[in-house]
Amino acid sequence: MFDTVLVANRGEIALRVIRTLRRLGVRSVAVHSDADADAPHVRAADLAVRLGPADRSDSSAAESYLRTDLILAAARRTGAQAVHPGYGFLAENPGFARACAEAGLVFIGPPPGAVELMGDKINAKNAVRVAGVPVVPGSQGGSPSDEDLTRAAAEIGYPVLLKPSAGGGGKGMRLVRDPADLSAELAAARRVARTAFGDDTLLLERWVDRPRHIEVQVLADTHGRTVHLGERECSLQRRHQKLIEEAPSVLLNPETRAAMGEAAVRAAEACGYTGAGTVEFIVPGLDPDLPTPSGVLDFFFMEMNTRLQVEHPVTELAVAVGADTAQPRRLDLVEWQLRVAAGEPLPFEQDDISFLGHAVEARICAEDPDRDFLPTGGRILHLAEPAGEGVRVDSGVTTGTEIGSLYDPMLAKVIAYGPDRPTALRRLRAALAETEILGVTTNTGFLRRLLAHPEVVAGRLDTGLVERSVQQTPVLLAAPTEHAGPDGTEVSTVELLYTAAALARQLSLAPAAAPGGWADPFSLPSGWRLGGEAAWTAHHLRLPGRDPVTVRVRPSTAEILADGTDNPSDHTTDLQVRLGDGPVRRARAALSGHRLQVTVDGLRSTFAHTTDGAPFHRTDWLGLDGDAWAVHAHDPVADRTAAGATQHGALTAPMPGTVTVVKAAVGEQVKRGQALLVLEAMKMEHVIAAPYDGTVSELRATAGGTVAMDELLAVVTATEEAGETAPTAPSAVAEVAS
Amino acid sequence: MVLSTFGSTAGLPAGPAFGGFGGGGGDLTADRAGGAIRGTDAAAAPAPRLESAVDAGSAAYRANVEAHRALVGELRAKLAAAALGGGEKARARHTSRGKLLPRDRVDTLLDPGSPFLEICPLAADGLYDGAAPAAGVIAGIGRVAGREVVVVANDATVKGGTYYPMTVKKHLRAQEVALENRLPCIYLVDSGGAFLPMQDEVFPDRDHFGRIFYNQARLSAAGIPQIAAVLGSCTAGGAYVPAMSDQAVIVRNQGTIFLGGPPLVKAATGEVVTAEELGGGDLHSKTSGVTDHLAEDDEHALSIVRTIVAGLGPRAAQPWPLAPVEPPAVDPAGLYGAVPVDPRTPYDVREVIARLVDGSRFAEFKAEYGTTLVTGFARIHGHPVGIVANNGVLFAESALKGAHFIELCDQRGIPLLFLQNITGFMVGRQYEAGGIAKHGAKMVTAVACTRVPKLTVVIGGSYGAGNYSMCGRAYSPRFLWMWPGAKISVMGGEQAASVLATVRRDQIEAQGGEWATEAEDEFKRPVREQYERQGSAYYATARLWDDGVIDPLDTRTALGLALTACANAPLAEPRPYGVFRM
Repeated sequence: MFDTVLVANRGEIALRVIRTLRRLGVRSVAVHSDADADAPHVRAADLAVRLGPADRSDSSAAESYLRTDLILAAARRTGAQAVHPGYGFLAENPGFARACAEAGLVFIGPPPGAVELMGDKINAKNAVRVAGVPVVPGSQGGSPSDEDLTRAAAEIGYPVLLKPSAGGGGKGMRLVRDPADLSAELAAARRVARTAFGDDTLLLERWVDRPRHIEVQVLADTHGRTVHLGERECSLQRRHQKLIEEAPSVLLNPETRAAMGEAAVRAAEACGYTGAGTVEFIVPGLDPDLPTPSGVLDFFFMEMNTRLQVEHPVTELAVAVGADTAQPRRLDLVEWQLRVAAGEPLPFEQDDISFLGHAVEARICAEDPDRDFLPTGGRILHLAEPAGEGVRVDSGVTTGTEIGSLYDPMLAKVIAYGPDRPTALRRLRAALAETEILGVTTNTGFLRRLLAHPEVVAGRLDTGLVERSVQQTPVLLAAPTEHAGPDGTEVSTVELLYTAAALARQLSLAPAAAPGGWADPFSLPSGWRLGGEAAWTAHHLRLPGRDPVTVRVRPSTAEILADGTDNPSDHTTDLQVRLGDGPVRRARAALSGHRLQVTVDGLRSTFAHTTDGAPFHRTDWLGLDGDAWAVHAHDPVADRTAAGATQHGALTAPMPGTVTVVKAAVGEQVKRGQALLVLEAMKMEHVIAAPYDGTVSELRATAGGTVAMDELLAVVTATEEAGETAPTAPSAVAEVAS
Repeated sequence: MVLSTFGSTAGLPAGPAFGGFGGGGGDLTADRAGGAIRGTDAAAAPAPRLESAVDAGSAAYRANVEAHRALVGELRAKLAAAALGGGEKARARHTSRGKLLPRDRVDTLLDPGSPFLEICPLAADGLYDGAAPAAGVIAGIGRVAGREVVVVANDATVKGGTYYPMTVKKHLRAQEVALENRLPCIYLVDSGGAFLPMQDEVFPDRDHFGRIFYNQARLSAAGIPQIAAVLGSCTAGGAYVPAMSDQAVIVRNQGTIFLGGPPLVKAATGEVVTAEELGGGDLHSKTSGVTDHLAEDDEHALSIVRTIVAGLGPRAAQPWPLAPVEPPAVDPAGLYGAVPVDPRTPYDVREVIARLVDGSRFAEFKAEYGTTLVTGFARIHGHPVGIVANNGVLFAESALKGAHFIELCDQRGIPLLFLQNITGFMVGRQYEAGGIAKHGAKMVTAVACTRVPKLTVVIGGSYGAGNYSMCGRAYSPRFLWMWPGAKISVMGGEQAASVLATVRRDQIEAQGGEWATEAEDEFKRPVREQYERQGSAYYATARLWDDGVIDPLDTRTALGLALTACANAPLAEPRPYGVFRM
């Protein structure tokens, strides 16, 4: 075993690897960009080395986590003998694997040849087909021209899927159903492939409708033994990004499981694989109206991922060696990656390995399901991760972590295990409900609802299920709009949030308790007035996408009479609260740490709560059952007085990112829908288009410049006749690639 | 040698031995500078707690509660009516112009949740045929951007915010509060100037309209910021309120400032001009320079004022040490039951003290001497106070005790609280012979000359020389309030009627006439009625003889806020008293 291992990654996977290194007594070395200087993975490691240009600060991946030379230098400086690449970044870069070997370092992964072979989708498919692994019909090898691909599409039949040959993880893939769209889609796919991977070679294959994504974990040592660790089903995806993964798959019968496992082992052996890898298959969904077929189901090889997968924990939890013995042993895949890399043989055989229970993983990402899953950002102001029986959290963030557009939006994975699937699903739902992430909008609540979706509960999954449900039955997945109110009535979630935020702000008006100190009666938010009735304290609030409201709060008359300014803000104080012109309700509120208890008309709700700490116009974050909301302060004065400055037709950045192209100039006449500039953020390109015919009166964006969320990019002044027709959307956002 | 010794001693810096003398002492001064909060002596040796001796189940208690509830109900009804200003129509007209109502202006100006200690909310009650609720102006102390300030807001729904005599008096009283307590002044101006039909009672005298601007100049000179927001008219003399301010804000298309309005200009010169052209926000902010900040509406103007106050810099340190606040141990809610409404019914004033002071702790002074006056040290909302409270008619001993106690508080820099329930000094040959006049004079001298802030609450009767020795209005308490059942007059109505009747009977009988008992009763009744009417708290508060009639249950809060306001001004240096006649 190695003394020192460098982890060439960041976030949760770096922490995950470091955990195992620590358990095995191996010294860990983290690397980090300037932006990650204080990141959790840096804190967790024994040593840490900065990556980046010497003369300036540049935290882009290209200048840090993708810099082979810097990583190898870091390994030299720290005496690391091996490099664990994690996933992403350099994990599937054969050049990096080779450079490691040349530098005398062990690359913890397969041989560079295997990485290279499997990294080329076309060659990979050819190789496994030769080995007897079934593949989806598709274009054949080389660097097919647009004409070749068009011809191949016609032969295979639509719909077809375009994939960057050098890509992975679903990035840059495009589905084409109509032959007429093919040439445009080809151009776009090549452009994305070129920018993302530096190689615009594409391949094309038949699209399997209602497909299920089922992958097999393999493990191979350097002594000729290759085993598989069963499958994971990852059919719950959105735009080819996995959301929920589980093991085992409810679809597979034992015969299919065995056949897929054997196929996976053959695929691994075909490329001389060592270490941990994943063979991904596409499996046609079953028609629920037909009887379940027996025997081996169809399955096609898609690709092999020559690295540790994001979803590897479900295998670690659901698979055991000697499951039928008194002491079944679960496997730490990182440990076995290290052992294999260190030359140890696998001490178990295929027959020793089987499933033991069920595990489900949810990927928590900084994205907003209410805004078409656009990436979000910000600082994590409060974080509470779930715990409990059968719950595991692989997290890469902590309170204070800044989430920007530099790196992957995944923050953490929550994995639940149970003896059976319903238990695992229930535990995961409960764990997500307990997950409190305030400060950054995430998909946690969405994932929690997805797990309760009837099709998911029934196990009728396919890779289009999530997107279909979002479009067809959004109510199943949207944050609840109503909550149980007093006397069996329902109160809208928005009202509850506004009320809770106002009460939290009322509580925080009281000066911080100075033990033994004097409390200035003028500083206590009693609203005290002569004559018995306190003055209302107005809180002007705004939820994103909603009209601002004014919530008024005051101590009840009885409190004021008793002794108005002695102690008006503790939880025993009876308050009155009034939302807009609505009825006056009785309320109580107590804030203890990050717990906000709000009682309105006798009904108590408990929120996770924090604020951004701004001295003026602070934002309150409220969390409930995995959902989180930012309730902003609304300044009616600033709103009105700035009315001249913010004009109709102002185009703002839908997310933080980088402006890649500016296609318009100030004074230019533009048509409605005409692209003005392109913003790249996270993994997406967004076209900012003119909302109506008009003139570009202001242009703040420059190519290459970074912009903050909601930053003004451009202003289009409507031409007179167009100005009379209402604009559709202030900023037309078109997704180009996922 | 001797000379040299003296010389070297004189050259030494003042050590602790020197610091122990003079105003408050060196240690105390250090504590004040250090932020006013410290572990108090009281914590080490707490004063004993007062306990209540009243029987909450007694019929008298229940009757007291009922009577107080009726009085407080009447008070609340009056306050609620006055708070509506000029009535529904005027309010609707006001808001239809996009203007906030004056109380909403105050609430918007103040910090969220800030208390507002209103001054004289029932001024002009029953005067001018009820045409001027609250005298058409709102005044009080609240917190803006963390600072205690005096707010004076015209109510344009009341006769266009014009100044009646009581309006002037209330405005001047607010400025006096600002001066004594060194509180910045914020004027929310919306007024047509003097109420012309009563110009003889508003314009010419010393304490009339001009005094407002005299005060602004003097307050500004004293370093007390003067800030005006012009939210409506500022006509004629009113134009000087913003003009005399240190900083002024005006609302565009709403606020106007001119010495003569368009009608007067037309009459004088024939020039036809709109109000906005003549004195609007744009003119004064861009051309004349009369105002310094241009706002879009009321809320904008008020937010500018808040920003101005935020930039005023730190306030002075509190002049006395403050302790953690402790609610009374005896529930203040029992005040209604413990205190008889009829001032003639005797009760122990410690029942009131127990319900006002922190922890109901009271370190009584000279408890066994001059027992008709209760004196002692306590805290209210963390502020130290020396309490002087009546527990019956004043005798010579009571007066001597009071004078002694006031001297103690003066020397120690402790604010004084007078709880007035006094029919006067004891009369009769024995007492005159005992020199009650000169003993009473000692207490009056002490009250008049002390440097410490004085607060007075009339909780019962306030009659005759008792009013003087217990810091009536003439003795410049920083604040003076009355409970709704309190009475104030030179003597009781019955006594006055009897005195006048006795004089009358003597005259009639000296001329050989006879005066039937029925005739005497007929003679006395109007006297009694006059005293009854003029002695009521509402008659008093309408004329600003006090700073407001308050619910007894509001007393502790009002005192706490007032003491906090008082603590904005440093204590005056110790000064000599007048001659104490011995």
